[in-house]
Amino acid sequence: MIQLLKMAYRDLGRNRRRSFFSALALGMGLALLLLMAAVVEGEMRGSLESTIRLESGHLQVRADTYDEVKTSLAWDDLIENPIGIAAQIAALAQVEIATPRLFASGIVSVGDETEGVRVIGVDPSSGANAPIRDGLVAGDFPAADDREGVLLGQPLADRLSLHVGDQVTLLINTSNGDVDQQAFTIRGLYSTRTPTYDDRTVFLPLAKAQAITRAEDHASTILVILHDRQQAEAVAAALQGPGLLTVTWQKANELLIQTEQFAKAYMIVLYLIVLGVTATVIVNTLVMAVFERTREIGILSAIGMRQRRIMAMFFAESGLLGVGGIALGLGIGGLLVVYATKQGFYIGNMGVTGMMLGERIYAYLTVQDTLTLTVVAFIVTLLAALYPAWLAARLEPVEALRAGQ
Amino acid sequence: MSLYLRLAWRNVRRQGRRTLIVVLAMGFGLALMMMYDGLIAGFEQAIYGNAVKILGGNVQIHAAGYNDTPGRRPLLPLPDDQAVVDRARALPQVVAASRRIKTGGLATSREGAFAVEIVGIEPEAELPVSLTAQNVSAGRFLAAEDEDMAFIGQGLATAMGVGLGDRFTLAGGSTHDQMRSRTMTVAGIFDVGLPDIEKRSIYIALGEAQRLYGLSGQSTEVVLFLHSLGQEQAVTAALAPSLPGYEVDSWETNFPELQAAIGTKSGVMNVFSVIILMIAGIGILNLLLMAVYERTREIGLLGAMGLRPGQISILFILEGTLMGAVGVLAGIALGLLFNGLLGRIGLDYSQFTSLTEYTALITTRVYPTLGTEKLLGRAVTVLVISALAALYPAREAAHREPAEALHFV
Repeated sequence: MIQLLKMAYRDLGRNRRRSFFSALALGMGLALLLLMAAVVEGEMRGSLESTIRLESGHLQVRADTYDEVKTSLAWDDLIENPIGIAAQIAALAQVEIATPRLFASGIVSVGDETEGVRVIGVDPSSGANAPIRDGLVAGDFPAADDREGVLLGQPLADRLSLHVGDQVTLLINTSNGDVDQQAFTIRGLYSTRTPTYDDRTVFLPLAKAQAITRAEDHASTILVILHDRQQAEAVAAALQGPGLLTVTWQKANELLIQTEQFAKAYMIVLYLIVLGVTATVIVNTLVMAVFERTREIGILSAIGMRQRRIMAMFFAESGLLGVGGIALGLGIGGLLVVYATKQGFYIGNMGVTGMMLGERIYAYLTVQDTLTLTVVAFIVTLLAALYPAWLAARLEPVEALRAGQ
Repeated sequence: MSLYLRLAWRNVRRQGRRTLIVVLAMGFGLALMMMYDGLIAGFEQAIYGNAVKILGGNVQIHAAGYNDTPGRRPLLPLPDDQAVVDRARALPQVVAASRRIKTGGLATSREGAFAVEIVGIEPEAELPVSLTAQNVSAGRFLAAEDEDMAFIGQGLATAMGVGLGDRFTLAGGSTHDQMRSRTMTVAGIFDVGLPDIEKRSIYIALGEAQRLYGLSGQSTEVVLFLHSLGQEQAVTAALAPSLPGYEVDSWETNFPELQAAIGTKSGVMNVFSVIILMIAGIGILNLLLMAVYERTREIGLLGAMGLRPGQISILFILEGTLMGAVGVLAGIALGLLFNGLLGRIGLDYSQFTSLTEYTALITTRVYPTLGTEKLLGRAVTVLVISALAALYPAREAAHREPAEALHFV
């Protein structure tokens, strides 16, 4: 084995440039795949994290008749005495935060323009608002007892040319199926760098939201954040109650997980094409080597080297090329991934409303992806030696010896 | 030149096996790009085709300033909408021209609230061309004199829990910072099989919209229904000069996010494909590098016969480019084969319809086109990369000393 590797190494060294370029081709292919895998993974992770932070939390407790899509405010669809229930949930050891939220549909209107928005009534002091608080770009969160204050997303405010202190009219649906409207003052602007969220989400203090929607002592959901999100299922089981429905973050993100699977299936096609193209370069290099060394191969088999061993020699060569290429690939790919992880790619607003897509994608390379890609690249490279090795083993010693004379 | 080409072509063919492998690599690269182009084009067709049919109109005319801020849809009345309609109707491609008022609104019932776009239409003008009018599942289409009557989609009716003859509250943005809320009766329900899209619009009579939203005798948009998709450009070009002070747009401009998404993805794909082609290009580089060694004597001979280094270089660059050209042919064959097959089967996107506003317009499956939309540019890319890959071996060949090269055994 060692001897085979030595021979293979020497053979590759005989034509350094060609060997280098072949390894480089593999390296470029691998680097490209690593970067792509990291970007897709980063996109999905980022989106999942954003959804959990901004939308789903780790767990939500709702009335079992509540339909997220409809934003119903009928009392039957809401949770009564939400503050009391939230306090009970917060008393559980695994729970970090539990806070009521009220969702309503509304329209912001300024001058001749109107924009459909989602109104969220929150307890301003709750730690669950951290992503919004951290994203404040101007002004402040309305206080809990503020009856006229509203918090707007920056993209929405920019689009409507609004600033802190300006007035907007907000029209909101109510519990009895009607609408109510009132003029609000913008207390603050936030940006979570998630365009589709910031563009449509408006915050009110819970008490005000309950008052204007006639929801009174009701909320749409109790948002729960756990110390360890893996415990979501267990806590959900503990929170079962009559008329209540608990939704874990896994369940709330089913579409995202589907999308991820679809993206990964699509990526496999790309992987195969890239590695297929890379393999052709290796095949060609080794085919050329077979023809250059026809005489040598003839001599080797004339002095008794078995066909298998001749084949093994070419596999050893492709294996070494593979190792070199993978080293190059990990090097180049590693640099690219580090850059993409730190700087990210700007994608802007793609209009994706079904999942929370930030305006930048940060790459995230998992150990598993790295290992899988490395191993697959190596296997493909080894497979690329099949045809040249078969060509070499098939040579008749006598004819091979005559070759080139 | 043709002599060079002939020489280069012969050289390409001398090593059939190697060339074949390299050509395949290039071909894969090109086929991949064609697959992508076909998919995107199929995607756009699926979306735009339905968008035009359901939301109505291939060309829209607004007052100046309407498009000033992307995503903003102000309630700007047209200065003289009747003149616009008359102009448009004179064009042969225009089947119908209709005035509309569009404003943001909120439809509420006991079940919940839904942000909608309220569209005031001229029922008599849209009746013959409107897809919604042809798919009335209950009740009737609107009539010009309708008051407090709405025509809604099945998707919205189901979501709001209302049926024919039921009443619901409809609030809409009116001029001068006002919201007008009104109880409406469901006059008719249409069903076009796209619940997500049906949820977004509510149709009322233009006269009613004018009264409700403070636009007496006015409209904010004129929509033109054309004979077929693809005539938008001609119509836009014909109308724009005669309508100063108006903004004439075709459908694409209505989906800025879709355009942005496709733009970003295409950018990524372009980089991706160039890298794949560069990898395939390394194949050409290696192959020609070997050829330089194998043909050392030949090159010496050519040099001795008086071919200048530059000319020898050209020979090799041509050889590389020709390989690229054969690769282009192989790629086109592969790409057409793949897209042809996939174009028949189609791709199932139905589970992603709720992902974005534009994917909601995909009814069933996406059928990729043949992917020849950008073929010329793609083919040129392949040729350029092939030629670049040949540069290094060509330089190598050109630097051989004829005498030494001839000595070489």
